[in-house]
Amino acid sequence: MSDLSSDALVENELANTLGAEGCDYRKPVIELLEVEKHYQMGSVLVKALRGIDLKIFRGDYISILGPSGGGKSTMLNILGCLDQPTIGTYLLNGTDVSNLSDDALSLVRGKELGFIFQSYNLIQQLSVVENIEVPLFYQGISEKESRETAIDLAIKVGLGKRLDHRPTELSGGQQQRVAIARALANDPAVILADEATGNLDSKSGGDILEIFDQLNSDGKTLVMITHDEGMAERTHRVIRLKDGGIAFDSRTEN
Amino acid sequence: MSFLTFLRGISLFRLKRSIVLGVKSLWMHKLRSLLTALGIVFGVASVIAMLAIGEGASFEAQQQIKELGSQNIILESVKPTNTTTAGEQERSLILEYGLTYQDITQIQATVPGVQVTVPSRRVKDFLWNVSQSVDGTAFGTVPWFPKMKNRDVIRGRFFSEIEMKDCSPVCVLTESLARNLFPLDEPIGQTVRMQTSYFRVVGVIEDDPAVAATESELEGSAESSEGMEMIIPITTLEDHFGEVLVKYRSGSFEAEKVEYHEVTARIEDADNVMSAALAIQHILERNHEDLDYKMTIPLDLLRRAERTKQIFNIVLGSIAAISLLVGGIGIMNIMLATVTERTREIGIRRALGAKRKDIVMQFLIETVILSGAGGLLGVGVGLAIPLAVTHFANMVTIIQFWAPTLAFTISVAIGVLFGIYPAFRAAGMNPVEALRHE
Repeated sequence: MSDLSSDALVENELANTLGAEGCDYRKPVIELLEVEKHYQMGSVLVKALRGIDLKIFRGDYISILGPSGGGKSTMLNILGCLDQPTIGTYLLNGTDVSNLSDDALSLVRGKELGFIFQSYNLIQQLSVVENIEVPLFYQGISEKESRETAIDLAIKVGLGKRLDHRPTELSGGQQQRVAIARALANDPAVILADEATGNLDSKSGGDILEIFDQLNSDGKTLVMITHDEGMAERTHRVIRLKDGGIAFDSRTEN
Repeated sequence: MSFLTFLRGISLFRLKRSIVLGVKSLWMHKLRSLLTALGIVFGVASVIAMLAIGEGASFEAQQQIKELGSQNIILESVKPTNTTTAGEQERSLILEYGLTYQDITQIQATVPGVQVTVPSRRVKDFLWNVSQSVDGTAFGTVPWFPKMKNRDVIRGRFFSEIEMKDCSPVCVLTESLARNLFPLDEPIGQTVRMQTSYFRVVGVIEDDPAVAATESELEGSAESSEGMEMIIPITTLEDHFGEVLVKYRSGSFEAEKVEYHEVTARIEDADNVMSAALAIQHILERNHEDLDYKMTIPLDLLRRAERTKQIFNIVLGSIAAISLLVGGIGIMNIMLATVTERTREIGIRRALGAKRKDIVMQFLIETVILSGAGGLLGVGVGLAIPLAVTHFANMVTIIQFWAPTLAFTISVAIGVLFGIYPAFRAAGMNPVEALRHE
């Protein structure tokens, strides 16, 4: 017994040194090793990301801040497997995704990642439920099962009465909640939110942030790209990017 | 990505949902979808309708030619148009022209394989049943006339060889003449008068199909004397009306001498019809200075009709191909616009886990639905047009079962063909850029 508890202490210490208290330190969900991303802009080589080393653990609640041009969008694209690093390694859930084929990358996106965008990005010709079902469809989930999951999620984000509404019939806050439900549909390892409240008034933005808090306390891993310091204050860890590198990485007191 | 690996990725479940999705996306822009599909609708409809009408017309033509007998060569006397000789003969008051006894004897003697010949002469005058009269023709011919001309005797019998030998005053009426002359009575056993001669009716024969066809086009004009024929032995005709025919026309009169109005020669071997025709033409050219005869070769007509039909089909096929091509290009154009318009959606789907082939399938299915629906609509319209043509224009139309099937299949194939490029263009988009697209 005492041996076991001392083991646990050691593990806790290890976790502290990695800067992710209370998280599953053994398995970083995301691990970036020496990641660089270069773009060729005409004759100029732009280094959008340089030498990024980052570990994100299960249950993390992170905000990534930085000035425009600081590499936020590139970071999101790399983390979201929408783009691949020029140099370096990206381990997602222990799998190296930095050199995957386009098809395999699509599969990883659909399975491990949930996206929430600033402009909601719902598909206009589909209803609320059908929008939530989109990621499930590409995972080959049966119609009945995906319909049930989608309805459950819609109810969970408070849209139980608007299952068959079109995105155009919903307010911005409601649309963003549909997007959240959609991001949760595949039970992804990480949820990526890109300026999720940027298009919302403070009231509905606040509601959305509350949902995020709730999701995190339920154990979800959330990474938010933002320039809103107030939003960053709610998160447990803040990463500041500058000139394509990590300028600051810390856990805010709350 | 090759097309094969793409095909392997299609599962039935996804296919069904992709179709539902495609219909939904198209339904969002109802008018645009309808207008896009319209090109295919017209293309397919015109293919089916043109095929049906063309097939019907050529069937009708071939039927008429076949009724003339494919082994027959038909010679007819024609009043010459050459004015110098006509003027000379006018002085003698009797216009002499046409096929002669000498021609026929020579043809029978020298052309090999000429089996039977049907000579005939006509006399045009009023036919009388007591007080009822019809403007008609006395038609002198031989007893094997019905067999050679493929015409059935409906009632009674045709006259016999003995009756021809004896110059018996018997006659066979065509169906329409019998109907006009004896509207209520049974014609057989009755008597018909022409000029001062009386003939006993022994049978009724069906109308000349060629005449019947022209008659039905001129519906209602019962005045037409065409087809009002009293058929009598040729010997009887000579006996009663002589060789010189005198016509009284509004005060003046003209006389003409025609030995045979029409001669039908049957060639034993169908392969020799054309060479026999050539031989007959040589004989006639030697005997006649003027072109006072006309030669009709049904087999030649048939071949020409077939060649015409082939050309017709090629022309129709090209028109159909062009109209379908235009329809396909229209669809491709709209699909390219749709792909650009839905760039954002493509980006969203890619972010949410759609592979390239999922995007290809989505747009390809959408295109095929569009063209397939257009094709189906076109089949409906294409089947309705021949029916309407038959109903209103009284034309024979023939819809072959393969025509709508083929037209529909082609419309689907066009969807695939013209959908591939827009679909691959959609799938080739970079997800990051697609998501940023406004």
